[in-house]
Formats: sequence, structure tokens, C-alpha cells
Amino acid sequence: MANRASGGQALISLQGIRKSFGSSEVLHGVDLEVFAGSHTVIFGPSGSGKSTVLRTMNLLEEPTEGSVIFEGIEYGPGVSGTKPKRGKALDLRRQVGMVFQQFNLFPHLSAIDNIALAVHSVTGKSKDEARERAAVELKKVGLIKWAMNHPAQLSGGQQQRVAIARALSLDPKLMLFDEPTSALDPELVGEVLAVMRQLAETGMTMVVVTHEMGFAKEVGDQCIFMEDGYIVASGGADFFDTCTNERARQFIGSVL
Amino acid sequence: MEDTPRLNFMWHLVWDFRFELLRGLLTAVNVAISALILSLIIGLGLALMKMSRFQVLRVFSSGYINIFRGIPALVSVVWVYFGWSLLFGYNFTVYQAGVIALTLLYSSFFAEIFRTALEAVHKGQREAGLALGMSRLRVFRSIVMPQALKIAVPNIGSMYIGMIKDTSTFTVIGLSELVFVMQRINAEYFQPFVLFTAAAALYVGAAFLVDFIFRAIEGAFSYPRQGAIKRFLTRKKRAQVQRLVEANS
Repeated sequence: MANRASGGQALISLQGIRKSFGSSEVLHGVDLEVFAGSHTVIFGPSGSGKSTVLRTMNLLEEPTEGSVIFEGIEYGPGVSGTKPKRGKALDLRRQVGMVFQQFNLFPHLSAIDNIALAVHSVTGKSKDEARERAAVELKKVGLIKWAMNHPAQLSGGQQQRVAIARALSLDPKLMLFDEPTSALDPELVGEVLAVMRQLAETGMTMVVVTHEMGFAKEVGDQCIFMEDGYIVASGGADFFDTCTNERARQFIGSVL
Repeated sequence: MEDTPRLNFMWHLVWDFRFELLRGLLTAVNVAISALILSLIIGLGLALMKMSRFQVLRVFSSGYINIFRGIPALVSVVWVYFGWSLLFGYNFTVYQAGVIALTLLYSSFFAEIFRTALEAVHKGQREAGLALGMSRLRVFRSIVMPQALKIAVPNIGSMYIGMIKDTSTFTVIGLSELVFVMQRINAEYFQPFVLFTAAAALYVGAAFLVDFIFRAIEGAFSYPRQGAIKRFLTRKKRAQVQRLVEANS
């Protein structure tokens, strides 16, 4: 999948990302390239900084140092004082979709209006047109019959599928998943993973932070293991079988 | 003890002066409504200032809130009505002075109500909006504010009842609200027990009415929304969604 071999330009790359909260640094210079059509999975123990890396990709976390380069445009503060022309966070976010651990659907809006609000306010389409688009996306995740339901009337799995549909309704070039199944009952994990698998098959570029090692092994063609704010080990689709890093092996062994 | 006068409660006075008393209550409610609208707007502004990135705004807002929260309505209205006249030579009408006095005080309470309500909206809501590429203004208007209002409405209702009651002190500047009207009648008939009881009953009645209205408003902000009015107002949208559901099934 990844056209790394062909030497093409990365869709998004992180360069020297450092992030501090107060006096404690949680990312110590992370470099990462994600190619169009690839599926990157990031895993590691909690507190390793994997979610922060993901949230840096759409600038929900502003890095303390380093650059996010998306389609050749640089965002973020840059490395030690270099200040080329910077893109605006808003422009980046309009091209990058994100799915959260806690779904973060808007509780005051029905499923269809959760999506329609995004389409209407970001693309400027009329509310009627936005709802038509929303219906198409709901159908893709198999929830068109629940269009008028509010989030409180949906199961966790259904809510997460609406959240995925909401992100996809804006035609993102990159989809970020931040532990999308961690807040779900075990029996609801499958339906969300099925939707994600389906999305991966369409060639969507995805970066997934997950503890679902089965899914990571199956879908990931770039695998990243993080610990204590560093990328400790990384590899391709065969990472789970060929990885030689002791700590990564230990972690995979304890989760699988 | 033949010559002890028998207690004589002239309850008929309440009925005889029913229009005057009701007009007094109406004046009270009126002043309180004007002040409510103004203090909601100013209070929201103060709340946003207190949550601002800029320290100047935060300090100003905290200072305002801490000062005006502590001033009694009686002091406030005398200060506005007589003080402004003395200091600036500008004379407010009693109605204006009442509205301004209440607004000064209650905007500080509403500021705190709005701030806590805005902070109670889960942080992930804002993040989800931003991640979709919505502007900060849009996130505030369409996502954070509707959820915060639902939290704030019951508290705003309680405050409004307090505002109506506080107008009773405006009798000192001669605003013809309920207590003022009552005291005028009392001066003639000397029936304080009857008249104060009537006033109490009218205030309580007004409080019940306000409670009823604010419950309805709260209902309109809750979700999933129900009720006949809601169904009527959303009929076009529901019909469209129904069509879309059928077309995509």
C-alpha cells in the first residue's frame, strides 16, 4: 500500500516534535512520515505519548517545538527559531478527520444533525443539502434508521460509528483514530473495527492509536511502538513477527 | 378588659385594592424583566472575559463580580438614583434607576452562572468541533453554548425570582412597585398584617409563575426534545429526514 518504496512525498510528516506540559516534556523529538493510502498503527503503554502524537497531527496539541508538514505546507512552531511561512490550524483540520475515544458526539443534536452541522458549517452547504450528505454517510456505517436518534439513545458502538461518519462527511485526506474502541463494551468493539476495516480497504490514509493488536496486525502497514515520549521501534506490515526490539516484543506479548 | 379593641382584619381591602396591588406587582416584574435581559447580556460578556486569555480582562471581570455581588439592592438603587444625580447632575427616572441598580448586581451573579455552565460542558465537545475544522466562534455558538444554556437555565430562573423580590427595596426611591403601593394603602387604613400577607402571597404567586415558565424553557433546551410545540416547529426537518431515511434504506 504505502508508496514509500516509490520515493513519493509523505502526505503528512512530523519533524522533531517536542511537547511539554508545564515543566514536563512528554514528547522528546518525534519524527514520523505517513504516506497516502497507508495505515499507520501506533501502540505502547499508557503515558507513552501516542495520543499526543496523534493530536499533534491536527494541531489539537500545539507542539512546543517542531513542524507538522501536510501536503508540503508547514504548521507548528518549527525547529529552533526557523520560522518559514506557516499554515493555519483551521486549514489543516479541514483536511484531517479525527475519531475520539469518548466519541464526542454533540448530545444536543440527533445523529443526522451531528453530521449535518459539520457539513453545513465547514463547507457552507445549506442545511438541507448538508442533511442529504449526512444521510449518505449514515447509510455507509449502517445507521440510517437511527438518523433521528440522539446520542443518548444509541449504544456506544453506534455512537462511534456516527462519529466516524461525521468525520468522513467532510472528505478528509487523512483519518486519525484515538483509541476508538477503548471505551466500548467488548461485544461492541467488533462493529466499530468492521467499519474501520472497510474504510481501510477503500484506501483511506489512516493513523490509528489502539490497543487492539489483532486489528493492528491485520491492517497496519506501518507499525510504531512508543514509550516514554520516544518512538522506540517501528516497522512495516510484518513488524509483529520480525520486530527485534526487546521492549516492543514484551509489550506485544503481554497484550496479544 | 372591656376596652381592649377587638382585632379587626379588614381582608376586604385586598379585594378593594386588587387592581392597585396587581399593578404594583406588574411594575416589579417589569423592572425585573428589563434588568434580567440586560444582566444576561452583560453577565455573558463578563463570563467570557473571566475565561479569556488576557489577564487584563480576567482581572477586570473578577473585580466587577466581587464588588457588585456584595452590594445590597437597597444600597445600589439609592447610589444610582441619588448618587448619579449628585455626581453627574443626571437624573434617572425611578424606573431606570431600578433597572440599572438590579443590572449592576445581577450581571455579576449571571457571570458566575454562565462561567460555571460553560466550564461544565465537556472539553471533548470543543475539541470535536475544532477537529472537524469549525471556527472557534462556530464551536461556541453551535456546540458549547446550547449545552451550557441547558445547565444555566434553572439557575437563571432562581435568580429572576430574587430580582423580583429585590424590587421591594425600590420603594425608597418611590418606584410604585408592590410594597410601595401596599404602604400607601396601609397609611390610610392601618392594616399592616392584612396588607403584608397579601403582598407575600402575590410574591409567592409570581415565583410559582416564573418557575413554571423557566421549566418550559428548560424543557426546550433539553434533549432529545419532546412535546407538541417542538414537534410542530421541527415538522419540516423531520419530514426531510424521513424522506432521506426511506430513500437510503
